[in-house]
Amino acid sequence: MNDRILGIFALALAAFITWGGWDIEAPFSYEPVGPRAFPLLLALIIGLCGLWLVYKGGHPVEPNPPGANGRILLMVAYAAIYALLFQWVGFVISTALMTVFVGRLFGGGWAKCTIGGVVMGVLFFLLFDRALDVVLPAGILGEFI
Amino acid sequence: MSGVLDHLALGFGVAFSLTNLLVAALGAFFGTMVGVLPGLGPINGVAMLIPIAFAMNLPPETALILLAAVYVGAEYGGRITSILLNVPGEASAIMTTLDGYPLARQGLASVALSLSAWSAFFGAIVSVTGIILLAPLLARWALAFGPAEYFVLMVLAFCCLTSLLGKQPVKGVLAAMIGLFISVIGVDANSGVYRYTFDLVHLSDGIDFVVVVIALFAVAEMLEMLEKSLAGQNIEVQSSGRKMFNLQELAFTWWSVVRSSLVGFVVGVLPGAGASVAAAVAYSQEKRIIESKDPDAKFGRGDMRGLVAPEAAATGSAIGSFVPMLTLGVPGSGTTAVMMGALTLYNITPGPALFDTKPELVWGLIASLFIANVLLFVMNVPMVRVFAKVLSVPAWMMVPGILCVSFIGVYAINAGSFDLMMTVIIGGLGYLLRKFGVPMAPLVLGVVLGDMMEQNLRRALSITDGDVSVLYASGVSQGLWIAAVAVVVVPQVLRMLRRGRRRAAEA
Repeated sequence: MNDRILGIFALALAAFITWGGWDIEAPFSYEPVGPRAFPLLLALIIGLCGLWLVYKGGHPVEPNPPGANGRILLMVAYAAIYALLFQWVGFVISTALMTVFVGRLFGGGWAKCTIGGVVMGVLFFLLFDRALDVVLPAGILGEFI
Repeated sequence: MSGVLDHLALGFGVAFSLTNLLVAALGAFFGTMVGVLPGLGPINGVAMLIPIAFAMNLPPETALILLAAVYVGAEYGGRITSILLNVPGEASAIMTTLDGYPLARQGLASVALSLSAWSAFFGAIVSVTGIILLAPLLARWALAFGPAEYFVLMVLAFCCLTSLLGKQPVKGVLAAMIGLFISVIGVDANSGVYRYTFDLVHLSDGIDFVVVVIALFAVAEMLEMLEKSLAGQNIEVQSSGRKMFNLQELAFTWWSVVRSSLVGFVVGVLPGAGASVAAAVAYSQEKRIIESKDPDAKFGRGDMRGLVAPEAAATGSAIGSFVPMLTLGVPGSGTTAVMMGALTLYNITPGPALFDTKPELVWGLIASLFIANVLLFVMNVPMVRVFAKVLSVPAWMMVPGILCVSFIGVYAINAGSFDLMMTVIIGGLGYLLRKFGVPMAPLVLGVVLGDMMEQNLRRALSITDGDVSVLYASGVSQGLWIAAVAVVVVPQVLRMLRRGRRRAAEA
């Protein structure tokens, strides 16, 4: 993992922008510069950055401490599941669940995290939904709250 | 002058309304707590609060006052851990640890805290005065800008931000371009064409600015925390006899505070430089000036002048960085870029015209900056122990809390799961970019400015029917181009010269 890999990412992004932007065509055109020029200009600059990074290389990424990568992936997965459940099962339950699992990841005990999660779910629901008028999804608890 | 006083009266009228005062106090308090937490700085606090302020239907000036108070509060909060624990809460507080922590070790913790609160307060007042005097002039000058000048001005802002920030400007450019690309996604306002939406309905309005900001400054931040997995720390603040600095210490540090405040304001006004640069410049300037005159100076071992310099400069620059945003509509730092994005949620585009169309907003903000700093100064000294307690919140409670509040904010915008999913994806990608050393501030600036930049470019070229020479036709735009090139080239040349000199010295 070093700048060369970042450069390859940049080149891939430039290729993607060019591919996706090539066919953009305005049905009626009133102006000399259409909707296509700006993204293609960006793709060009990103591509040049990519070439530079590939050519120069170096600057290896500092490796994570052992075990950190797995936990980071787990955290992304938890956040994604939380995003899916947020609206569907509702704020209170999804937040309680998320707190238990993410809390475990950060070294909390089962009991503490469970209590903390339930308290946080209910408290934030009351605070935001009821007191501050920020509407949150009730989800499957919809009939009770 | 009387015009200025009228405006100020208007501003204080807005700021002194009960809600706005309350909001400023709450914001300052919340901001300080966020600033105390390691890894979370002003930009994170502001990012998390924007959507919530918007969802609460706060009027724009109140929302802006809230965000500004959080911003200043977080700058204040960063110092508490720097002085007590030698742990800088954010980048701009690193210089504070150099002399602040030794002072605390000598039993002068409370004195150091009150002294740094005072110098930050002084820096803030200098900068607010600077804004009051400078901003209207700058705004009037900028009113004459056409689309071509605006386009070049934004190029200049990007050049400043990328060249001053990192050791590798190419990564800053890359970040800015990625940000600009994110702003392209969605319907093109001029032609109604869908760009990069891939027939996804949810992408037709583009990726919301709040989604990007929360992803980069809350989700990616959490992933970074997992690397270190910080445990909650429990610290005792020993009570030292004296809480306040005395007059002798005030006189001792007076000129350092004054000089550093001015440095802070000037650095803050320059786009891109920001509080950490200001603190570093002020500290090394004081060190050089004082050590040449005073052989007894003990910089790095608990000199009070070394404590006040970065504090005054950091706060001064935090406030100075409002100048380019308010007057030109081009934010100078990551945090002000985020705030400008918040204003666009209200369909307000900051810029020179804002002084005429929404004076209550501009002057209300300036007055609130003043009030927030007074509040913080008063709040900081007696409440240090309360803020230090924040540090004992364990990570297993804090991280889920951050994630939860972030999701509440994202959900509040469109009330849908799609944005939440986008936040997680962009957060993951943002974490990877950060690992590669790609700075995040230019990326945010790109997302905020992208639309304006493209529109101005296209408008400028429409006027001349596609002739690019319009971009460097006027004197103003030529000056801006020269400044942009200079900002990129000069630091590189200086770096090369320094390297050459070092080599010569070694040989």
